[in-house]
Amino acid sequence: MARDLAIDLGTANTLVYMKGRGIVLNEPSVIALNRQTGEVLATGREAWQMIGRTPGYIVAVRPLRGGAITDFEITERMIRLLLQRVGVSRFTRPKVVICVPSAITEVERRAVTDAARRAGAADANLIEQPMAAAIGADLPIDEPVGNMVIDIGGGTSETAVISLGGIVALEAVRVGSFDIDAAIQNYVRREHGIAIGERTAEEIKVAIGSADPTPDENQAEVRGRDLMTGLPKTVILTPEEVRYAIEDVVSSIVASVIRCLSKAPPELSQDFLVRGMYLVGGGGLLRGLAERIERETEVPVKMSNVPLEAVVLGAGHVIEHYEALKGMFMGARR
Amino acid sequence: MTAVVVGIVVVVVVLVLLAAAAAGRNRRQPDDIASFRRQIDALSPEARRQTSERMKPSDGGPMDDDGGNDT
Repeated sequence: MARDLAIDLGTANTLVYMKGRGIVLNEPSVIALNRQTGEVLATGREAWQMIGRTPGYIVAVRPLRGGAITDFEITERMIRLLLQRVGVSRFTRPKVVICVPSAITEVERRAVTDAARRAGAADANLIEQPMAAAIGADLPIDEPVGNMVIDIGGGTSETAVISLGGIVALEAVRVGSFDIDAAIQNYVRREHGIAIGERTAEEIKVAIGSADPTPDENQAEVRGRDLMTGLPKTVILTPEEVRYAIEDVVSSIVASVIRCLSKAPPELSQDFLVRGMYLVGGGGLLRGLAERIERETEVPVKMSNVPLEAVVLGAGHVIEHYEALKGMFMGARR
Repeated sequence: MTAVVVGIVVVVVVLVLLAAAAAGRNRRQPDDIASFRRQIDALSPEARRQTSERMKPSDGGPMDDDGGNDT
């Protein structure tokens, strides 16, 4: 008998929740392929370690960008392998709930559900990430009060106002923590003349990246390839430089939060001043981001206790109460 | 004579269909309310507590504890 699954198919990480069990898989959304034969060489963590370090015949790719499937076939293979790892076979076909960005198109929606069905799901339904995040972050969305959740993922940032189990206002931008990494890569290339990989850019972000000045800031030594000589080179990067490099991305995220606040009905707006907004998603862990949003919106911002798992836990709750909550699926609302 | 019988049959069929439609509408309203109530109850903190407690598998399943990078 198949156990039903909830999947947070993120641009950066894929998490799987199994009904009655909890989170059973948390892996980077990466797949490594043999370029010549098309054979899958690794997925998840193992494939992530290969990014930027592969010989010519191997390619390690992220098949999702901006929360959307950029390569349907590779995504399908990745989902199939991930499902196999949690025990799904052609004889045990579970029902699957998949979290997706709220702004995906009808074509992208169909691509995700088709990929899941072909990968072994008996039935695949979608739920919006901010809604799942609000459920997983334990916000009182069953009450007639304004709950605001900001979900900053690898490829998308979504802000939603939720009350009585439904989305009241929503704002989404296809900008996320990968865009922060890309901005750092571009800055280092432009200002220091060295090329760095996406993993190095991510390490810089984690080490010294911030959206607002923070206490105890340190500089970082960055190693890359000199664009002029082609030789390895080390440069020193300051937190101010990183803030400057990522400013456009951060501003874009903050602006989308402000737009969502302005869409909220006044009765719910007053709730935010008392209850605050909740930040979830890996991108929300950027130092100073909560403070920056709070400063610009004048609304308290709180970090969820489970920022990385909130979305899959919310979808997991839906799969645990499938019959009662199936009205929350995308396209199921009256 | 035949036309009268056919007419009566048509009228009866129409009346039955109207009655069925009215009954369906009356039944759907309480169903909608019950479905909304079930949804709200399933989103209550009490209902969600169990899911939160399952954040990690209890019996050491195939969970891979790695971060990689952000979601």
